[in-house]
Amino acid sequence: MLLRESGRHTNNDFNLNHVTAAEGDAGVAHGALLRELTEATISGDWLHLGEIRAEAELKMGKQQVVDALTVAAAFNGITRVADATGIPLDDNTAQVTDSMRAETGIANFDYSVKSERYDLRS
Amino acid sequence: MYPENSGLRENLTTAHAASWADISKPGDFLNAKERVAVVRAAREALDCNLCADRKAALSPNAVSGDHHCTTDVLDPQVIDFIHRLRTDPGRITRTVFEEVTQVISREQYVEIVAVLNSSVIIDTLHNALGLGWAPLPKPQRGLPSGNRNPDAVDEGAWVPILAVAENDLANTGLPRVPNIARSLGLVPSALGLFFQTFRPHYALKDIDLSISQAQAEFVAARVSAMNECFY
Repeated sequence: MLLRESGRHTNNDFNLNHVTAAEGDAGVAHGALLRELTEATISGDWLHLGEIRAEAELKMGKQQVVDALTVAAAFNGITRVADATGIPLDDNTAQVTDSMRAETGIANFDYSVKSERYDLRS
Repeated sequence: MYPENSGLRENLTTAHAASWADISKPGDFLNAKERVAVVRAAREALDCNLCADRKAALSPNAVSGDHHCTTDVLDPQVIDFIHRLRTDPGRITRTVFEEVTQVISREQYVEIVAVLNSSVIIDTLHNALGLGWAPLPKPQRGLPSGNRNPDAVDEGAWVPILAVAENDLANTGLPRVPNIARSLGLVPSALGLFFQTFRPHYALKDIDLSISQAQAEFVAARVSAMNECFY
């Protein structure tokens, strides 16, 4: 949702489906490299991350790579805070992102939906 | 805790050093040994066969066994929660929360979430930069102070959260105090620890990094999707 807000501020139209899909750059600069850096970081694929970091440093510069990893690290933590506390969406966010959550598949991550899906016992 | 040529900003390295030092001290509901054990357990989860098998299963509850664990200062149910939150956060449910809070208080739960996720941020950044693990801090003596926020409120989260007077809308279209910033408010020091660690990494607007706000949002959104985070 914040990506959509960034697009409004910069008059760019970002494809939010690329955020939840397996590929695509969503229309942001160096999107493909940012995606690879992020995915290797979050999945803990450190060998691949070393390779993609070197490639990205050539194309984006070291500082941008460091800053992208800085953001990825932060959200690796804060998403777990949300997941562990079950906090509800903020009222305004819930209202303005209703169709976007359905469109991108984010609605499937709703905590009540997760309970139905994952609390099965063997 | 970072080399000088890391490319990281000084406010971030200073904040991380402060958080690492804070984890080594008694908290409000955990002693320092327990806090450092949370970090150790979170790291061990990444090499845990049970967690790997659960991650691959249709439901994590379909697989049972023992976690890879070298610490004996935390209850096994707490170890299970820590491993789940570290390796499979998208499948943490209210049932998991309710089970673990049968053996610990909600305040201890909130403190564990704060310590664990502060360490996740620091550990993720270290590994992403190819630095390996930062050495665990040495636990300091002392007792938890028991300081909780008596004014925390129930607003539909699993735990009481920080009360705010009103959701004052800023020009981002988002609440000025989003729920995520209130989520650990039951234990003020936990809230402080986590956001001390997080704050230098990101801003909702006018981000002070060499990448654009849109690039930062793309990375953030992709992490959220990978971790199946609804919020």
